[in-house]
Amino acid sequence: MRIAYFSPLPPERSGIADYSALLLPALRTRVQLTVVRRGAKRPPRGTDLAVYHIGNNPDAHGWILDALRRAPGLVVLHDFVLHHLVAGVTVGRRDGHAYLDAMEREAGVVGRLLAHGVLDKRLPPLWENRPEDFPLAGEVLSLATGLVVHSAHVHDRARDAGYEGPVSVVPHPAWPVPDTPAAGLSGDPLLGCFGNVNQSKRVPQLLEAFAELRRHRPGARLLLVGAVSPGFDLERRLQRLGIEGDGILREGYVDEARLWALMKACDVHVGLRSPTMGETSGSAIRALSLGKPLVVSDAGWFRELPDDVALKVPVGADEVVTLTAALELLADRGDVRESMGAAAHELARREHDLERAADRYVAAFETTAGGRAVSDALLREVSEAGADVGIEPGSPEAKELARRLAEVDLGA
Amino acid sequence: MRIAVCRPQVPFAYGGAEIFTDDLVAQLRARGHEADLVTVPFKWYPGARVLSQAFLWRLLDLEEADGAHIDMVVATKFPSYVVRHPEKRVWLVHQFRQAYELDRTELGQFDDSAEDRALRRRVQQLDRVALGEASRLFATSRNVAGRLERSTGLVAEVLPHPAQELPYRNDGHGDFVLSVNRLDRAKRVDLLVEAAATEPSLNVVVAGDGPDRERLEQLARSLRLDGRVRFAGRVPADELAGLYATCFATFYAPVDEDFGLGPYESFLSAKPVITATDSGGPLDVVHDGATGLVVEPEPAAVARAAVWLRDHREQAEAFGLAGQALAAEVTWDRALERLLS
Repeated sequence: MRIAYFSPLPPERSGIADYSALLLPALRTRVQLTVVRRGAKRPPRGTDLAVYHIGNNPDAHGWILDALRRAPGLVVLHDFVLHHLVAGVTVGRRDGHAYLDAMEREAGVVGRLLAHGVLDKRLPPLWENRPEDFPLAGEVLSLATGLVVHSAHVHDRARDAGYEGPVSVVPHPAWPVPDTPAAGLSGDPLLGCFGNVNQSKRVPQLLEAFAELRRHRPGARLLLVGAVSPGFDLERRLQRLGIEGDGILREGYVDEARLWALMKACDVHVGLRSPTMGETSGSAIRALSLGKPLVVSDAGWFRELPDDVALKVPVGADEVVTLTAALELLADRGDVRESMGAAAHELARREHDLERAADRYVAAFETTAGGRAVSDALLREVSEAGADVGIEPGSPEAKELARRLAEVDLGA
Repeated sequence: MRIAVCRPQVPFAYGGAEIFTDDLVAQLRARGHEADLVTVPFKWYPGARVLSQAFLWRLLDLEEADGAHIDMVVATKFPSYVVRHPEKRVWLVHQFRQAYELDRTELGQFDDSAEDRALRRRVQQLDRVALGEASRLFATSRNVAGRLERSTGLVAEVLPHPAQELPYRNDGHGDFVLSVNRLDRAKRVDLLVEAAATEPSLNVVVAGDGPDRERLEQLARSLRLDGRVRFAGRVPADELAGLYATCFATFYAPVDEDFGLGPYESFLSAKPVITATDSGGPLDVVHDGATGLVVEPEPAAVARAAVWLRDHREQAEAFGLAGQALAAEVTWDRALERLLS
């Protein structure tokens, strides 16, 4: 089977580029695969199936969406909320009408009116303020002949949005842990938070909870790794909470080797997220591989992590109180950290194995590439047999046949 | 209870699964249940016919028959378990193996076209749904249960079934190796025929019939075995029991077999079994140096094992008795208690 593979790839700074770099060698041992060069408009001739990695970043995925529009295929849906992507390829290309159409498709006339408000600068950009309310995944779903998703959360959202094609849930594969030493950092304990420093990573809540923890455990330290998002005033927040100084360790964007070294040094990994775009966290996957206990938001993919691996913090009113309690528990109880870490390691080995993920991809490729032809052949035979004995389309008997087919996933 | 035992029917073919299901019905009836066999012809080619023929089972209404409620269905092999019933138990003989471990082997069915690849995946998906509906799921061997779990994630309880009822006995250490099998390529009877060619003192009796018989007979002729390999065809029960009683060992080495009645029948006659390292189900009970010999699937290795058992009568008899004790543990009373509980 010949696969055309559309994805961002390193050196692009994108989690999905890293993801593909991990996955591609395993896929290449299983199928004939051509990685399509960035900007290509169509899959090469002779392709059996085009595979499009779609995420929310228009710089990384705009060209891939353009290609999907020309030749539908299997979509690997890394985020369910695609508002940024759609805004990027419409408003970002000075095509306001397309944005209006996308919003109308999503939310009817009200959506169109809201989009007008945004274009007229009467309303703040929805992709900044309320993307989760308007995911704008409709066009991508309508073009997808099959879907690969990484979580039950995205699977369910796609189905809720009316997607009827084949959907395969392929857990994010885990990276092999490099054999490099941990960074020379420590704390009692050392907490780590990896990724952009901003609101949606719940950094304000984390800082408050950490300040509370430090009252009882002055030796605790918090390592923040990642670029500070524009408009997020980290320094002022630290000053206000009185936790500047040696309690906070800061690193900006780091390369892969440094990232692993820093992650290894941490006793607890904190991976909060809200709102969630339906994404899987590469940092959390790395933490599982390292056998580190996790504290996560009780939302989206994170909610699907087993309870023996991650403490889950509900988003909302009592978030800081609950988060503080979770951090205190893990700070005080080395035995809990140890057992959660062991469970995390086992989960990575069992559910996030790279070879297993590649096998599931191949199953998704095969299901999607010839699936329509198989469905057509089966339905043709059943309907012809029905017609031979006088079963008319739309009759109760025909509906019974359709129901029975659907029961065992043999429907269209 | 009123119980419908479901099995697909391949017209004009009769083998282990048919013996098993006929016996199951008889044993249920013997214990006071109202049991009957439900069969639907099955043809698995060409193209998507494997799905359309499987789908026929879904259209059956086995919740009642002639106004009387059916309490339970017991489905056995693909695609009989596509049947729907609130109390569907599956005693899995095997899935559609061409979609699994036989794929891309000479015994496979699906080629590399996009349509065939998708068809194979649809069979797998059908299994996940239909087997997932079962209120209890049993497999006849660890091999079958293992394949099921690897392919669908579904976990089955291992429940071997007893061999067919024959007047089993042991009339002593005879001078031939016996093969009892349906003759198709997957049973690898040619290994035994070729073993006879490598060892001029070896005598073989092949009981059974099937599509590979002509090729095997031609093979025996071409190897000039001078009548040392006798093809007995499908033999009646008494004659079969007699063959078991008078051989010195049996050969049973299919490729990755699901379960295999052969070893149990051999053991009930207190005869050891020669099997191969890649034979699957038989390895549940044929233990090397305990109940038989497990060898590489090569004619020379089979010949060496057969000669050793022939020439080491005491050990061969001890292996046979150990197998007999093992087979005696597998009874219909025990099996049905678990199946119906």
